Formats: sequence, C-alpha cells, structure tokens
Amino acid sequence: MSDAYRGETYYGRSQLKPSPFGFMVSLYIYLAGLSGSAQMLATIGDLFGGRAARGMVRRGRWLAMLGTVCGPALLIADLHTPQRFYNMLRILRTSSPMSIGSYILTTFGLTSTVTAAAQFLADRCGWRRLLGVARAASVPASVAGAGLSVYTAALQSSTSTPHWAVSPRSLAMRYGASSLATAAAALSLGEHRFGDPRTARRLDALAFGALLVEWIASARARGDLRRTGVAAALSGSAPERLERAAAGWGTLLPAGLFGASLLLGDRGRRASRSASLLTLASGLALRHAIMLAGNESARRPAASFAMAQPRNLPHMES
Amino acid sequence: MQVHARARDYPQSQFGGVLPHEAELTAGVRIQPGRSYGFFTDTTRCIGCKACEVACKEWNNLPADNVGLTGMSYDNTGALSANTWRHVAFVEKIAGPGGGPAEMPPYQSQWLMMSDLCKHCHNPPCLEACPTGALFKTEFDTVVVQQDICNGCGYCVPACPFGVVELSETDGKAHKCTLCYDRLKGGLEPACAKSCPTDSIQFGEIADLQSRAAERVEQLHGLGVASAYLYGAPGSPGATGDLGHLNAFFLLTDAPEVYNLPRAPTRASNRVRPSLATGLATMAGFALAAIALLGRRA
Ligand code: SF4
Repeated sequence: MSDAYRGETYYGRSQLKPSPFGFMVSLYIYLAGLSGSAQMLATIGDLFGGRAARGMVRRGRWLAMLGTVCGPALLIADLHTPQRFYNMLRILRTSSPMSIGSYILTTFGLTSTVTAAAQFLADRCGWRRLLGVARAASVPASVAGAGLSVYTAALQSSTSTPHWAVSPRSLAMRYGASSLATAAAALSLGEHRFGDPRTARRLDALAFGALLVEWIASARARGDLRRTGVAAALSGSAPERLERAAAGWGTLLPAGLFGASLLLGDRGRRASRSASLLTLASGLALRHAIMLAGNESARRPAASFAMAQPRNLPHMES
Repeated sequence: MQVHARARDYPQSQFGGVLPHEAELTAGVRIQPGRSYGFFTDTTRCIGCKACEVACKEWNNLPADNVGLTGMSYDNTGALSANTWRHVAFVEKIAGPGGGPAEMPPYQSQWLMMSDLCKHCHNPPCLEACPTGALFKTEFDTVVVQQDICNGCGYCVPACPFGVVELSETDGKAHKCTLCYDRLKGGLEPACAKSCPTDSIQFGEIADLQSRAAERVEQLHGLGVASAYLYGAPGSPGATGDLGHLNAFFLLTDAPEVYNLPRAPTRASNRVRPSLATGLATMAGFALAAIALLGRRA
C-alpha cells in the first residue's frame, strides 16, 4: 500500500496531456466488445450447440453487424482529419494497439459481413448450402471478435495516462469480462423473447459468471491504482464515483438477478430481463467511466507524479 | 565556446545566402545524416529571456497560444502545446515568513528557469503508438510528425510520458518540436539553440553533449552546487522504464517534479503484450466455459 503524492508540482499544472477521446470512443469500445463477443458466442453455438442454438446463432450474427457498421463510423468520426482514415492501414505497427486494432476491426468487419450475408440469404432464399459459408467465415470472425473485446484495454493501457497505465492486465480482464457479459445478456434477451428458454438460461449462467469475473478484475484494478498512488489523486472525483458504481452495483446487482432467475427457473424471466438490461447499461457506463477517469488522471499532476516514482518501476503490477 | 577556425573564412558581416555547414560556425558541429543530434539544456545558465520561445515561433511560423498573464511568476506560456514547442518554466523559491534567505548559494538557487521541449526519446512512446507511421525517426535520430500523413487520431497525445505532443484545433494534426528538421537538412543549428544568449541550450552530437554535460555537473559540484544532476542522460532520472536516453536532456538543481518533469517515466509499449495476452487468455477461458454450457445439445 502506498499513498498519495505529496511532493511539489509546477503550480498544480498538468504534467501530461489527456487523450482527446470522449464518449464516441467509449461507445466504440462498448459496441466493439459487445459485437465481438456476440460473434464468438454465435460461432460456439453453431459448432457445438446443435439445433436448439440456431436462433441464438442467427441473432449473434446480426448483433456482430452492430460493431461492423457502427465501429468504423464512430472511429472515423473521431479522427481530427477523417478524410485520411485509410492511413490507419498504411503500416502495421505491433507496438501500437491502435494499429493492431485497425486490422482486427477490418478482419472482423469483412468476415462478419460475409457471415451475416450468407445467413440472410440462407434464411430468405432457402439456400441452405450457404450456412456452410457462414460457418467458415464465422470462425475467423469470432477469433477477431475475441481480439475486438479486449484490444481496447491494451490500447488504453499502452499510454502514459496514469489510470489506464497502472493496470494493463486487470483492465484487459475487465473489458473481456464485460464484453462477454453484455453479449450474453443481449442474446439472452432475444432468446427469452423469441427463442429457446433453455439456451436463454445457459446464456444467463454465462453472463452471471462473466459479471463475477468482471467484479474480481475491477477489485484487482483498484489494488493496482491504490498501490501506485493513483487512486489517492482521483478519490472523490466524478469519474471515480461513476466507475465505482459501474464496477460495483453495475456487476453485483445484475449478477444477483441472473442468479435469482436461474434459481426460479421458468418464473425467472422477468429477473433475467432486468439483469440483461442492467448489464448492458453498466457495460457502457464502465467504459465511459474508465475513459473519463483516465483523462482526469492525466490532468492531475498528483496522479502522474505518483505513477512516475521509481518504486513503480519496472513492473507496476503485482 | 571557442570560435571555429572556419570563422576566418567569412570576415564580412552580410552574406548572400546560407553558408555551407553553418552549424560548424555557430555550434561547432557539422550536421551529417546517420548521426545522433540533440540538445543539452543547462538550466543553471538559463536567464529566462525566452529568446528560444520566440526564435521557435518565428522559424516555425507558429501562432500565439494565449496572450495574457497567468500569475505564475514570469511564465505566461504555461505549457508546451501544438503551437508552442519551447516553453520556459519559472520557479521562484520564496522563503517562508521572516523574509528571504540571508545568503544565496550561487547558480539559480532561488529562481529556477528551464527551457522545456520535446525530449526526442530514444524509444519514443509517441512514435510507437502512431498507427499511421506519420511519426518517424529522422536520419538525425530525432522524432518528427509527417504532416502529410497524420490523420489526427490523437493516440500519440496520451502516449507521450512528458505531455508534449498535442492535436491542433486549426488543422486537425498532431504537432510538436521537429528539432528543426528543415534546418538540420540545410546544415543549420536549430533556431532555439542558435538564439540562446547564454548557451543554456547547447546543440550537438549526443555523445559529445553527454560528456560535456557530465563535465559541467563535475564543475558545478566543485563550485559547491551539490544539487546539480542530469535528467535524461543514460542511467539518470528521466531515462527510465526502458525509454532509453533522451536526445534532449537537462541539467537540473531541484527535484524533477519542480520543473514539471516525471521522475521515472516508462515506455508505454511495454504494456501492450501483458495486456493483450491477459485479455486473450480471459476470452479463451470464456470460450471454454461457453462450449461447456452451450455444447450440451438439448
Ligand atoms: S517527449 Fe513525447 S513527443 Fe517527444 S519524442 Fe518523447 S514521447 Fe514523443
């Protein structure tokens, strides 16, 4: 445990510059995780779930189109010279998660589009053979989807922004868990309404587990923030309070509701629905809270000077 | 600094054009591609005249950021920005109640001034974050943003551990000190160093500057300034966390934080692997759980 930075600052001025990322990027991180994980679940349902999972597979493939369509649009809109968006694919730089992510998003978008198009034609025109095409394209799409769920954490951690930089591992766990929880929750909503209640319950169980993992990962991240002295510099700020709410009640409340609905069986549909909606809302709140907390930590010299103490070298994590 | 022997070749006071290898005359160094160049900023020599700030703005055609008073000593510039690539920090060390100190140790003991800039890191986090390749290492071992490639994603901004590079609202691109890339190509000393009247800013080859700086620290210690140390030279504060040395490094006499510098900055890209690996392992775990749960064919 270490405490706040109490040394001198330069007139209290920022030592770092905050990222220029705001709500559009938070929304992208959220939708990318939701879509990527949905594609992964759909592919697993397709390969291992048999007939009962068919509806879930179809809806998962539609959900993946959300990230495919909105993701690039949000990112390009966030550029300050958007007409040069194609320069993102000019080089591949493995030291830059933003470069890696551009390729992940491109792969995900292309393969998810093929998957969804094949599914659509198979459903509408009865060309059943196309389901094989959908399956073949969905495998690389779901591998890219897994990357899409977590690379955004690497993107934030691989900066000098204190709140993000001190917990690279925990942040990736939080984003992975939240992505999977939101995807399972969204698919469970569809399944309860139009599909197979047994698949819905299994999705609920998955969401329940993912929310608990998210809660644990958030607790780990708080440990990282405290140990490095960054937490002390942010305590009481609005982003910090939002993050606490999203990571605390935002996971425990829906997890409890999912648990209750699993115990109640067929009578638990309403609990499951509330849990799903809460999960979806808290996932977005989490992403935006972390975005705001990061930017605020870059503005506060007490946070950056605390992080940049020799005792936090070279491994800032336990 | 000694006058270069070539100075005799140019007795006139006006020239028709740029002299070949002019930096040899002004900084005692011939600028050649493939070598490492940078600045040694000796804060004990800084008098806070801001000639460097002005020379930088003039040469690079940079607009003013804010015209007003900050109330922070003589620092009305505030910070480095997209339009401000040199910034002179002022710290007045005022004694507590009972008046000022009776005795003043030499060399900026009560009033610190430091001309800050992009550190041109050996392993630059801004460059390592740049997804377009707009940021690159030049043939002079300096770090420059190519304005015709930058698409204004802004990822270099939070990547920099020194809070240097910034997006411009005017043109939507990232901007920072280029270490006068254009002047170096023409054999000229960078504008700030050339304008510095006290040689607080010294331009030269890195190895040269580093040994010159070490000597200066020795000299100051001998003069009783025990607090003098280097920031950004190999093995010193600033050159930590796998950043390597800084091509623009400093001689300081107080804690780094006093000058708004981080004591132990780190290389951001070292966090890519642990983060991605943990994330992908998490997803693999969830995939197995999903196979177990959804795989039971109903
Ligand atoms: S100081 Fe910042 S902007 Fe300059 S080279 Fe280093 S990381 Fe890049």
